[in-house]
Amino acid sequence: MKIRFWGVRGSFAMSGREFLRYGGNTTSVELVTDAGKRLLIDLGTGATELAKELMTGEFCKGQGALPILLSHTHLDHIQGLPFFSPFFIKGNQIRILGAAPLSGISLEATLQNQLSPHYSPLNGLENLAAGVKIETIIPGTTVTLPGFEVLTGAVPHGSMWTTAYRITADGKTVTFLSDVEYPAIDEPIPAALVLAHEADLLIHDAMYADDDYERSKGWGHSPARAGVVVAERAGAKKLALFHHNPDATDDMIDAVVERTAARSAVPVIAAAEGNYLDI
Amino acid sequence: MQITFWGVRGSYPVPGAATVRYGGQTSCVETSTASGDTLIVDAGTGMRALGNKLFREAPAPEHYHVLLSHVHWDHIQGLPFFSPAYIPGTKISVYALLTAADELHQVIGGITRHEFFPMPLEAVPAQFEFHQVEPGVELDIGGFHVTPIALNHPFGSVGYRIDGDGSSWAYVSDTAPFTEVLHKQHFLSGPEPLSADDRVALAAMRDALVRRLAGVDTAVYDTHFLPDEYARFPHYGHSTPDQAIEICLEAGVRRLVLYHHAPTHSDEQMDRIAAEYLARGAIHNIEVLTSFEGMTLEVGPEAT
Ligand SMILES: [Zn+2]
Ligand SMILES: [Zn+2]
Ligand SMILES: [Zn+2]
Repeated sequence: MKIRFWGVRGSFAMSGREFLRYGGNTTSVELVTDAGKRLLIDLGTGATELAKELMTGEFCKGQGALPILLSHTHLDHIQGLPFFSPFFIKGNQIRILGAAPLSGISLEATLQNQLSPHYSPLNGLENLAAGVKIETIIPGTTVTLPGFEVLTGAVPHGSMWTTAYRITADGKTVTFLSDVEYPAIDEPIPAALVLAHEADLLIHDAMYADDDYERSKGWGHSPARAGVVVAERAGAKKLALFHHNPDATDDMIDAVVERTAARSAVPVIAAAEGNYLDI
Repeated sequence: MQITFWGVRGSYPVPGAATVRYGGQTSCVETSTASGDTLIVDAGTGMRALGNKLFREAPAPEHYHVLLSHVHWDHIQGLPFFSPAYIPGTKISVYALLTAADELHQVIGGITRHEFFPMPLEAVPAQFEFHQVEPGVELDIGGFHVTPIALNHPFGSVGYRIDGDGSSWAYVSDTAPFTEVLHKQHFLSGPEPLSADDRVALAAMRDALVRRLAGVDTAVYDTHFLPDEYARFPHYGHSTPDQAIEICLEAGVRRLVLYHHAPTHSDEQMDRIAAEYLARGAIHNIEVLTSFEGMTLEVGPEAT
């Protein structure tokens, strides 16, 4: 299995020279199996860059298939949807899977609202030429996608829940745990440990440098240290810090990685936009 | 008057190496008078950096005025990230075109619904006020005299002529030209045939725009497309620099600023566009500038 980070930034897309090495696009992560099956997590602005790449292949001819897992529907995770060009070619088979954002509000209604005529000239999901199949996930269940086995779980994110994913393919496991804040840094919830159990790569929310966390508590995000705690307890083999703060320049992220790695038994990297990495 | 560009991109923010010089953030412009009155036009992602600057300059509650051209995502997405909104006592007056005024609160509130953003509008410390604008109905905000102008864009959009300090500039974005497509309140999968009424409506909209722009020093104009791109997507609601030059020429505008750049245009492409249209404008005696993030312009007699 290979992975490519198309967007690693949290909350807000950042342009400018200080953000070039790690990248300024909001969250979007692609996984590809050895046999070429593909899966996307989240539709932040990074997805628009992937879209350009996809449109050089079968998606341009309306012969592409892509399942997309959404962690949740905060804007930084869906703002690329209206500009994800494979949606505009009839024949592409695109599925969006995710949990209902809140009780009583469906995923479909939320995405429909994003494309309401006020906000978008697309004027509704029905005008995406490819069509889109929206499938509601019940967190805690397992979803089988072509080439991938996915265990899902709900994790706390401020006043809502996000869906975390444990994705297995080709005998390797990647765990995606973003937009999460545990009751305490040293007390990750059991579901997080189950999802990250012996994962080859744990991608974890690291919105705040540890020193900045105290004054940012309650917004639903983790300090870098929280991912280390999960990785160590779950026996994950590698930790990728993710969902970087919009104010964190490349140099600041370098410093966070250095400080975090110094106190971690698990190797630590910061997720960066770039090339395909082997798991 | 002064204009500062905080976001010049259309559709969605585009970070990366290809946009560092012109900037990747979406529509947001600040304008101020010599006496310090300030207006914000559009609340795209550029508004985050503007908010941080305003907060640094005056970390005290202020009253901000925000004119919206329309409420497509690229024109409102910065609002929840405007840091002064989190200072208790701040007042934010939002002006926008809407068919029903009472909807505006819902539409703006809608972007901070729980599903989309961690804090709902009601919980944001700033006090929000919503005003409906109507094309042709002029209003005074501080030292500014503002004239909304109807534009041709899906679901409606308005431009603004802004007079202050004895000079004037206009914000004309987003708009399609006034020839092939009349945008209404339904989805267009391609250009639809124009009825006789449609042609009359387009001509009236174009006339009113030219009339309102008469004598304006500077026009900031939606020039999202190059001519070949426009030919493929005439129903997307955006113009080309050539179409903007035509309108400015007719209205006698001194200076045209290209704005709302397509997210796919790299810095190198923007350099070529800037050079080409500077030369074309010169033929007609119009100074054509290409906006970039951080650009500041002096407007009016004191600048000429
Ligand atoms: Zn997020
Ligand atoms: Zn726009
Ligand atoms: Zn628009």
